[in-house]
Amino acid sequence: MMIGYVFSLETVYVLTGVTLLIFALMAFADRTNPRRLGSGLFWLTLGIIFMFGGVAPHWLTGLLVLFLVALDGFGQVGCGRVETDPVERAGHARRLGNRIFIPVLVIPIVTFAFALLFRRLGMDANRGALIGLGFGGVAAMIVCLILTRSDPLTLMNEGRRLKESMGAVNILPQLLASLGVIFTTAGVGKVIAQGIQQVIPGNNLFLLVLANCLGMTLFTIIMGNSFAAFPVIATGVLVPLIITPFGVNPAMAAIITLTAGSSGTLMTPMAANFNIVPAALLNMRDQYGVIKFQLPYALTLWSFHVLLLWLLIKIS
Amino acid sequence: MFIRGGNSFLQGDFKLNIQDLLKLAGVAIVVVGLALRLRTTLVVVVAALVTGLVAGLPLFSHEGFFQYLPYLTKPGQAGVINTLGKAFADNRLMTLFIITLPAIGLAERFGLQEQSANLIRKIRAATVGRLQIVYQIFRVLHGMMGIRLNGHPSFVRPLIFPMSVGAARASGSAPRAVASGSLTTDDTLAPARGTDPDGAAQTSGTDSVEKIKAANAAAENYGNFYGQNLSPAQAGVLLVYGVMQGLGLTVSVGDLVWYTIPVVAASIVLAIIQFRRLDRALGKMAEAKR
Repeated sequence: MMIGYVFSLETVYVLTGVTLLIFALMAFADRTNPRRLGSGLFWLTLGIIFMFGGVAPHWLTGLLVLFLVALDGFGQVGCGRVETDPVERAGHARRLGNRIFIPVLVIPIVTFAFALLFRRLGMDANRGALIGLGFGGVAAMIVCLILTRSDPLTLMNEGRRLKESMGAVNILPQLLASLGVIFTTAGVGKVIAQGIQQVIPGNNLFLLVLANCLGMTLFTIIMGNSFAAFPVIATGVLVPLIITPFGVNPAMAAIITLTAGSSGTLMTPMAANFNIVPAALLNMRDQYGVIKFQLPYALTLWSFHVLLLWLLIKIS
Repeated sequence: MFIRGGNSFLQGDFKLNIQDLLKLAGVAIVVVGLALRLRTTLVVVVAALVTGLVAGLPLFSHEGFFQYLPYLTKPGQAGVINTLGKAFADNRLMTLFIITLPAIGLAERFGLQEQSANLIRKIRAATVGRLQIVYQIFRVLHGMMGIRLNGHPSFVRPLIFPMSVGAARASGSAPRAVASGSLTTDDTLAPARGTDPDGAAQTSGTDSVEKIKAANAAAENYGNFYGQNLSPAQAGVLLVYGVMQGLGLTVSVGDLVWYTIPVVAASIVLAIIQFRRLDRALGKMAEAKR
């Protein structure tokens, strides 16, 4: 009973919340960050949501989310500078060699072990994997501290550096999933599904799969982000028109739909980080050179997605 | 069952009314907002609020002290802000990877990327194409380990590009004059800067080098995009899990990883085909130059 309480998802959320709280305190104290107040408040608020999200009234969490997004919207989340000497890093790399990968590998190993253990004990292996991810992170911290003989303050500061360099956009998947929930509540999915049904007969599996993958890719091309496209397509097409009526394995259909969107990412200048910035980094003459190279690959792999999804549904 | 005939519209089975079409406002806001490159987080939350409000949901649920406030609540309906808060709390698992950051950050301080670079340098690929394939697989392994990384500044520019030019020179598929001088001082991990004394600027100007550069960036994207779903700790898998959960379908993260394997395999096979063709094209270009 006690063990079940300690090794629960809620415990992992609280641990993550504490980590965020430490990041926040460090951000407040960081004079190299021109936006240290905003950054500190951002990580603090997120930390509070992580710790108390399970028990706090939903309206309060909702308002805290609006506060988070307002901070980011007004450009108040910045990043400080935690610098290390490249020569020092290279020296450590020589000394530690491949052992530096051990702490990183601890995370997937613990995740997997928890999933297996939970299955063994007849509990939800899924939940086990997520809990394992949390405790894997903690185990990796300990292993890394022992391996590098570093101190906890440096550990947390390095975590904060990584977190700040990723920025507020980190919470995007969580926000997008929430948007998906609101789309569902408002019945957006039904409207899209009805619109598609006016064009495509509901019993034509191939055309539905085609529309699903095409919609996913077009949305990704326009928005430059397959993660933003997924909740829309999942609520409007994939679930109501394919998974529910045809009794399809939802995990299989969902992950294939997601990567169908990745073909869109390979084709769009909107995904500047992946397609335009590298062209600049490499001083290419043609700023669309990367996209042009990727285009035939993306189109072929996209067609493969359509056929794969259709075939897997057919044979199951 | 959901299946309807294609002529349902004629039968007047349903009508799309204005109220229904308005519900798509949120979708439109996301599309237009992101296309205009407005702040992503803000666009998404505005879309959520607008969608809820045009669908007739109140701002807050009719409970506690909110029920005494006029206009903000409606009896018997959940508020948009309550729904947003609940959904955000329910989906905390998507941002769970934060707890892995201190360990990865500290490992980086102690040379994680330098050691990765050391491994990359050990690659002895005979041709440009083979080097890209090995690098792509290397990035797939990164994804599997749950490491989130934009490899363009950290690996592609400082390592893969000069190594590719070196491989092209060694295999005679790039003109000597162009390929020389780019492998000497370029093996630090400093991110490439605008002024670039020894690498890309000097070696630009031929079609074969332009092709090599494009292939370098592509190998990074191919490996990164498709490899990352092999780990349950990565954003894509967790996003799918959460969205499906929100739609009332519980999927297993293990299944998500399992069913992405055919796509990862196809992504590698297709890349092998494309990069082999690149090798042949580079060979022909070098022939033509001679």
